[in-house]
Amino acid sequence: MAQDTAVPKLNFEYWLDKATEWGQATTLESQKDVCRHLPQLQEFLQQIYETLKHMNSIEAIQQFPLIGQLLGRLCWNPFVIGYDESQKTLMWCLCCLYSSEPQNPVELKANSWIRSLLCHLLSSSKWESNEAGTNTFISALGYTSADYYSHLVKNMVLSLVTELKGNQFNGLNIQERVPASRVSEVSLFCLPLITLPDLTPLLETLLLCHGGASQELLSSEFLDAVNEAFLKKKISLSETAIFGLWLRHLPSLEKATLYLLDQLVSIQMTSLEEVACVVKDSLLPQAASHPAIFRVVDEIFKNALLETDGAPEVMTIIQVFTQLFVQAHQNNNKQHKFPLKAYFSRHHQPLVIALLRRPFSTHCSQHLKHISEMLKTLVEDESIRSFVDLFEIWFLIARFGEWLDIAAEQLLKASAEPDALLWLLAFYYSPQNENQQRTQTMVEARGVYDQLVMLFSCTVLSVKDLQAAVHKTDTKQSCTQHLTTHLLTSFLLFSSGGHMIAQEFISHITGTSDASKEVCSLLFRTAYRINRNGERNQRTVKLVNDLLQKLTLKV
Amino acid sequence: MEALLEQVAQLPGLLAVSRSALVRAWDAPTLGRALEWARYFQHLHGRFRARPRLRAALGRRLRQGQPGSPLGFRHLGRCAALLGLALLENRALPPAACRRLLQSLLRPGAAAEAPSLALLARRKAASRLLAPAPRPAGSPAALEPQVRAEAQMLLARLREEEEEAEPGGGRAGEARERLRWVAGLLEQLPQPRALRVVAAALQQQRGGDEEGLRGRAGGGHVAGPLLSWLLESQERFSAFCLLLPGSLLASLAAHYSQLRPPYLDLLTAWGSRLLYDPLQGRWHNSCLGEAELSWEELRERFDCLCRGPALLRGQTRAALELLKVQDGDFHICGLSVWTDLLMEVEKSLRKEEEELASVDNICYPVLSL
Repeated sequence: MAQDTAVPKLNFEYWLDKATEWGQATTLESQKDVCRHLPQLQEFLQQIYETLKHMNSIEAIQQFPLIGQLLGRLCWNPFVIGYDESQKTLMWCLCCLYSSEPQNPVELKANSWIRSLLCHLLSSSKWESNEAGTNTFISALGYTSADYYSHLVKNMVLSLVTELKGNQFNGLNIQERVPASRVSEVSLFCLPLITLPDLTPLLETLLLCHGGASQELLSSEFLDAVNEAFLKKKISLSETAIFGLWLRHLPSLEKATLYLLDQLVSIQMTSLEEVACVVKDSLLPQAASHPAIFRVVDEIFKNALLETDGAPEVMTIIQVFTQLFVQAHQNNNKQHKFPLKAYFSRHHQPLVIALLRRPFSTHCSQHLKHISEMLKTLVEDESIRSFVDLFEIWFLIARFGEWLDIAAEQLLKASAEPDALLWLLAFYYSPQNENQQRTQTMVEARGVYDQLVMLFSCTVLSVKDLQAAVHKTDTKQSCTQHLTTHLLTSFLLFSSGGHMIAQEFISHITGTSDASKEVCSLLFRTAYRINRNGERNQRTVKLVNDLLQKLTLKV
Repeated sequence: MEALLEQVAQLPGLLAVSRSALVRAWDAPTLGRALEWARYFQHLHGRFRARPRLRAALGRRLRQGQPGSPLGFRHLGRCAALLGLALLENRALPPAACRRLLQSLLRPGAAAEAPSLALLARRKAASRLLAPAPRPAGSPAALEPQVRAEAQMLLARLREEEEEAEPGGGRAGEARERLRWVAGLLEQLPQPRALRVVAAALQQQRGGDEEGLRGRAGGGHVAGPLLSWLLESQERFSAFCLLLPGSLLASLAAHYSQLRPPYLDLLTAWGSRLLYDPLQGRWHNSCLGEAELSWEELRERFDCLCRGPALLRGQTRAALELLKVQDGDFHICGLSVWTDLLMEVEKSLRKEEEELASVDNICYPVLSL
């Protein structure tokens, strides 16, 4: 118990000094300082309350003799009272200190002082005055201070919105420009109040306020705080406002993207529909219609991919994001829309256009061949020298990864020449070719493919048969391993013989190697794809769901 | 039903006691009972909100035997807050009871009906933070947020009254009572403030009327008492017209026909008292220190009136023409204040037309923001 109280005690002097320094926060410096410390102060007050609630008032005063001073000063600081839940915690603390049976004048005085503080906080007297008097007009009407302040805040917000909007071009009626210092001042006062729902119209106006200045008018603390509140779903803003925020404050955009990635990587995925939901709610795909935002998000995704060594979960997230981005772009009715191809590099335009087409059931192989040929031309072009260039092309294919899954499926189903589609997959799994790695992969993959295609139409198959077929080819490279897993899983899902042994075989693959994440991701993607296309193959759907259930239990 | 009405009749007494020194005798259980009553009343409010006849019956019972500030059905719904805050501010409440009060109002897990006091404290702090910079008195800006807030509450109260009024009401006695009640309310404010609040209320109500509530005959019950109060005394009305800016008065006069004749009469009276100083070439007030408008202010008022909707503009100009004729129908300045006013007004209207015409000739770029 002694240790519990030690922590607040250490900070007690610190916060008391701070509170004294701030006073009623009338100077700009003190106001900025208060705003910087609000979250920590709230935590500290929580700690104090947790300690106080187990004591009676006498013990409390003994433990914290200066607590009266601290609470008293904080109650007169409108920034502190206006912030989040600080006012609640302060009032609870005051409650704890109130004595129900005062024994001596000191306690009586303390009680009286607590009542005054509470009246100051809750009655409709002016902030500065210490009386308990209510505005007699309000009570004559039969209303309370709660009603009064509700109306008052709404009206103040309205006034401020009107004042700030005068900053924008209003037909020919150019009202006085609102000075930058005023905008900055208002944003500072709003900082503690961001999560108060009444303030939303003012926040939106501020976020769309530019004032023609080349410098940022709004403080980065303000923009950060708004972003945090939005990400944690404590406030809801219009799309225009949130896009405005991200466009003017790069750190907020970065935070939002990283937050999304964190969220998705940490949840237990049960379906890609769930992932799509979360991504859509984040508003990032919609925001990415602004090319600047698209670029930043892209960079972050690329870095994430590189840092995690191409983890399949991250790749899947990027694919879902890309799909939603394309969808949002197509649903966007705004006049000034960039064409989709404009978001991607000029050099890759024909390939981009091919990738942007929605996969359809017929002529898929033809289209895939086309994609593969274009890709090959691009890659084997002399001008691709650096790793970066190659990575860009690879990333383009990877983010439209649905095509790769379709390629694997088509390879096994359609019996036309497989080279083009195999090359596509080989490139994905083994993009570099300085030491002929890709060529080698291609050869090995062809070997595996040839075996699988022979077994594709077998209705009765055993695990041993399949294993034997796979091991016939000598695969030296690890890239080929991944490709093989991809082909095998597709085989199991789409061949009649494969269905029977799917469960067993997959347990085998995921038991012996670290392929479980890959297989999982592929199964999720396949389920998502099938649902979106409304395919009629119920058996496949059921199989995929059963396999996923088993696998996610294991993982 | 009778039992229910008996219970409800306790509310005024309960509220009165909670504000008085009688609470000195309360202990924690008594306070608990009082809060229970408050919760019960709120429960009644929830149950009967959608049943007009029962509502009206309860409302009537509440109003009986309570001169001064009559309570209405709505107060049942606000009971917990009313009682809680009243008790909190009552210094006579003994410590044990007070502690019980604090626990039930403020502590986590407080009853769901209890008012959100944290939100109240937060909003009060917000109003301190967002307060507009004090403006110089008499600036033509829109009415301040505080005034607008008070006006909105006044309007809400008047609307509640209207809803709970006897159907088929409108007897002269009732109207007089209502006026007295409104007067009593407005007495709680200092005169200049009361005038501003009434102006804001009339302005807000006008906005409401335009949104299509005009169909309701009862709309008169809200603006009616306020207008009657304004026009009740000449001093009050004259103070009103002196205090508020011309643009606001013009928009009110445009909407409320009862205001037009008295307003024009007042302006006429003020105008007639101006004297011309040939040496300085301007009109000035005859007696200093009296509550009157100066020439410039008078001109501005007429200007605003003439920029109003067609009906108002027509009436104003007709009035000015008539006055000019009655005063001798002069055409040169300095002889009749009405001639000069009319000339000034027409000049400024012409200027505005020219500006608008020249604007049409500018090609302004289409802005897409």
